[in-house]
Amino acid sequence: MILPRKSKYYVAAFALLGTLFSLAPLVIQWANYTSPIYAFENSFVVDKFSIILKGLFILITYLTFLLSINFIESDKYYQGEYYYLLLSSLLGALIVSSSRDLLTIFIGIELASTPMFLLSGWKKGDRKSNEGAIKFFLLGVLSASLILYGFSLLYGLSGKLVFSEISSHLLSASLANSPVVLLSAILVISGIGFKISVVPFHSWAPDTYEGAPLPVTAYLSVSSKATGFVALIILLTKVFAGSGSSWGIILVIISGLTMTLGNLVALQQNNPVRLLAYSSISQAGFILAPIAISGITGDYQDGIFASVTYLIIYAFMNLGAFLSVHLFSNYAGSTNFYEWGGVARKSPLAGVLTTVFFFSLAGIPPLGGWFAKFVVFRSLLGSANSIGIALGVVGAINAVIALVYYARISKVIWMDEPKSINEEKIFQFENPLKVVGVFTVLITFVSGIFPGIFSYLGEVSSIFFGN
Amino acid sequence: MELLTNGVGLSVVVFFPLISAFIITLIPKAQEQLIKGFALVSSLITFVLSAVLLFQFDFSSADKLQLGNKISWIKSINANYEIGIDGISLPLLVLSTFITVLAIIYSIEHLPEPKSPKGFLALILVLETGMNGTFVALDLILFFVFFEIVLLPMYFMIGIWGDKTVRTVSGFKNQIETRLYASIKFFVFTLFGSAFMLLGFLGLYYRGNKTFSIPELIELGTSGAFTGTFATLVFAVLFLGFAVKVPMWPLHTWLPDAHTAAPTVGSVLLAAILLKLGSYGFVRIAIPILPEQAKAWAPAIAILSAIGIIYGSLACLAQTDLKRLIAFSSVGHMGFVMLGIASLTPIGINAAMIGMVAHGVITGLLFFLSGSMAHTYHTRDMGRLGGNMKLLPKTGALLGFTAMASLGLPGLAGFWGEFMALLGAYNPLDGLNITVFRTSMVAGAIGTVLTAGYLLWMLQRVNLGEPSDEWIDKDLHDADIYELSAWIPLVVLTVLIGVFPKLIFGATNDAVIAMLSKAFGG
Repeated sequence: MILPRKSKYYVAAFALLGTLFSLAPLVIQWANYTSPIYAFENSFVVDKFSIILKGLFILITYLTFLLSINFIESDKYYQGEYYYLLLSSLLGALIVSSSRDLLTIFIGIELASTPMFLLSGWKKGDRKSNEGAIKFFLLGVLSASLILYGFSLLYGLSGKLVFSEISSHLLSASLANSPVVLLSAILVISGIGFKISVVPFHSWAPDTYEGAPLPVTAYLSVSSKATGFVALIILLTKVFAGSGSSWGIILVIISGLTMTLGNLVALQQNNPVRLLAYSSISQAGFILAPIAISGITGDYQDGIFASVTYLIIYAFMNLGAFLSVHLFSNYAGSTNFYEWGGVARKSPLAGVLTTVFFFSLAGIPPLGGWFAKFVVFRSLLGSANSIGIALGVVGAINAVIALVYYARISKVIWMDEPKSINEEKIFQFENPLKVVGVFTVLITFVSGIFPGIFSYLGEVSSIFFGN
Repeated sequence: MELLTNGVGLSVVVFFPLISAFIITLIPKAQEQLIKGFALVSSLITFVLSAVLLFQFDFSSADKLQLGNKISWIKSINANYEIGIDGISLPLLVLSTFITVLAIIYSIEHLPEPKSPKGFLALILVLETGMNGTFVALDLILFFVFFEIVLLPMYFMIGIWGDKTVRTVSGFKNQIETRLYASIKFFVFTLFGSAFMLLGFLGLYYRGNKTFSIPELIELGTSGAFTGTFATLVFAVLFLGFAVKVPMWPLHTWLPDAHTAAPTVGSVLLAAILLKLGSYGFVRIAIPILPEQAKAWAPAIAILSAIGIIYGSLACLAQTDLKRLIAFSSVGHMGFVMLGIASLTPIGINAAMIGMVAHGVITGLLFFLSGSMAHTYHTRDMGRLGGNMKLLPKTGALLGFTAMASLGLPGLAGFWGEFMALLGAYNPLDGLNITVFRTSMVAGAIGTVLTAGYLLWMLQRVNLGEPSDEWIDKDLHDADIYELSAWIPLVVLTVLIGVFPKLIFGATNDAVIAMLSKAFGG
């Protein structure tokens, strides 16, 4: 921000380098890791779980920057502020993944989402952008107050802020299933429900996604969602672990509704961004399912493993899907994907990437998405619980429904008659975008063919739950 | 030779086509000859290697899994890269590499619109990896992954190179091109089946000591680890997954659409190999792991197969479209395969194995011929065709021969599968309901008559008679060298298997008997 306007070019470079550089301490921590390190009177922790998530958040932000470079330069947007706000949001996400007390996690959640209110209204002249940002802001404030109210109940009951102390207090006073604690859990779930856009707290997402600049939408649907999920996982397993059977049922219902409703509405969409918005709602249902069922069975380790694996794979394939939408809507000049007939012939590379990302979202082997879906089904059936198996069947049906709309984009770009192709028009595929495409496609393939790399997460979630 | 027997050989047969497909995508589009040559050479290498494996294979112990290996793949869920072949999978594996070579030979000069050999040939090779992989996989998750890999290439083959005729489909407001409707229908049907199949696999995993290994699960299954409602449910979902693929009546509706819409080579591969993935799944997974459930379900499978045979033949009699007729004939022929499997006797399952190979060879050839004729005449309407023998003597003669093989003429490959399936159904495994099976057998026997009926009727309308005026002055090309070199090997194979069925039984018999005696004792 303090640089003169002329040298705004350096801002992007600086932001990119800074983000990449921040990976270095993580690598060092990983290499020298022996046991979790606690700081600030147990309210902040560095363990393998948080290191992995931090790495994920930093990579997502880095890829978002790459997506943004040309987008931001092509218009008279405020570059410095743009990168500053995204980095602030990243800081929030990083705090969440290490937080172990009520205040820290609340500050993290809000620091991650507040900059997004501004960023989603970045296209000042655009009415849709304004509408989306206002909706997002109002519901965001509501969600913050719900979370805060839930926290205040906990604090009132226990007089403690640190998670471990709260949960041991709840257990020793056998309050784990008292109405107040349940109310607090419901408030927290509702509040975070907005952040991860699960039914019935999802209504802002499609409008906000449509209005926001595309890189911001990609960030919202990946990083913001992941932040919300991490916060939810930490809170449910560290604070509310004792009352799992109650919130488990609620989450099972939410999860089933979310996958089904998101899917059914996505079938009707012709705007690719809205389609991805509803698809990401549906995917959130899948990510939620293992946590929900682990509440009922008490096997949090397996639930966390499945959800976090899904989150990581989802993050990269969804970023890739947004990249594809960006490329094609830019070229075709239309936000109705039915008008993209045959555009893949203009750039087979972009066509192949799009196909890979969308079929990976649909969960077709050997693309990464299949393993994500697989671990979810595995944890649902592994519960040996009729509710879990029922949710698994709902998930299986949804996986088939989802294929219809995910395949539709590939159908249009490869199979439909090329009407909108203009031979003269050049297909823009800038180098930073190519880096994003290649990177995400590699991760999508590797995670599908060698899912063994996720094995360490099993160990990691055991460490997470052991401390 | 060490390399061939420790699993590397099999892995190369599976993954070499995939690597070749990747290399093809790197060759510039303009170098069409190079692309075609490369695809042909790589499919030939794969075939030759699978033939070499044939000689490495120890036929005296065909009931054992051979030439395989097991290495850790996904440690956290105990899924392994476990591969191997026995007498049941060997013929299908060789068939798959063989048909792929022929499909590529045919594609060299006969690419459907829009040409683009690069994409088309790369997809065929990816498809081959999926098919070969399914036949060698001995781990449920590995099997699932390969089983699904075939979907994407076939979806795009039908969707991009398929039939562009616009038609009205009930339930759709607007008219839709056949290829678009057929491709997504194929995809959704199969995925529906396999999504539930995956749940079934997971069920086996949790009840069966957390292993996905098929041989280990067979040991567990035959020692009675899976019982009760659980086993019934698991068999039901496995049935769903495999029966959609076979396809069994009433889950067959995707097949006529997909076959009719697919480009020639697509139909050939679909009929010759893809359908077998389903029936192979029954023999390799469903029956040996859940023998008691298989026994309980066998009468139902027999009845559905009998309905499929009769229904397929009757539907054939109602067709005006040559390709659609052959598609429906697949429903009937696969009905015989499933009837043989349902009998749970060595004779029935051997019949199913030879039936699968014969159907692959014969129906593959029929689709080649009908596709080529559709290309020459620009129509598949049998009302307009006629006098094909006079117009295209070579194609016509081959069509006559293949139709005879397809209707089960003794001495040709099609005979053994049908005849022995009926024998198997006459005398099913002890304890199975004799009335149901004998009724199914009678229905099957009526089916053979109907099959002869519609095939001869088809020959009469297409091959015989005088050509209609519309073709008289047209310059029609008979089969060229590429077509003949794709077709003649299939003709030779049809005769060979017909005269020496031991070619197939020599591999399958021991394996089938061992599998059944393990599952049902004695």
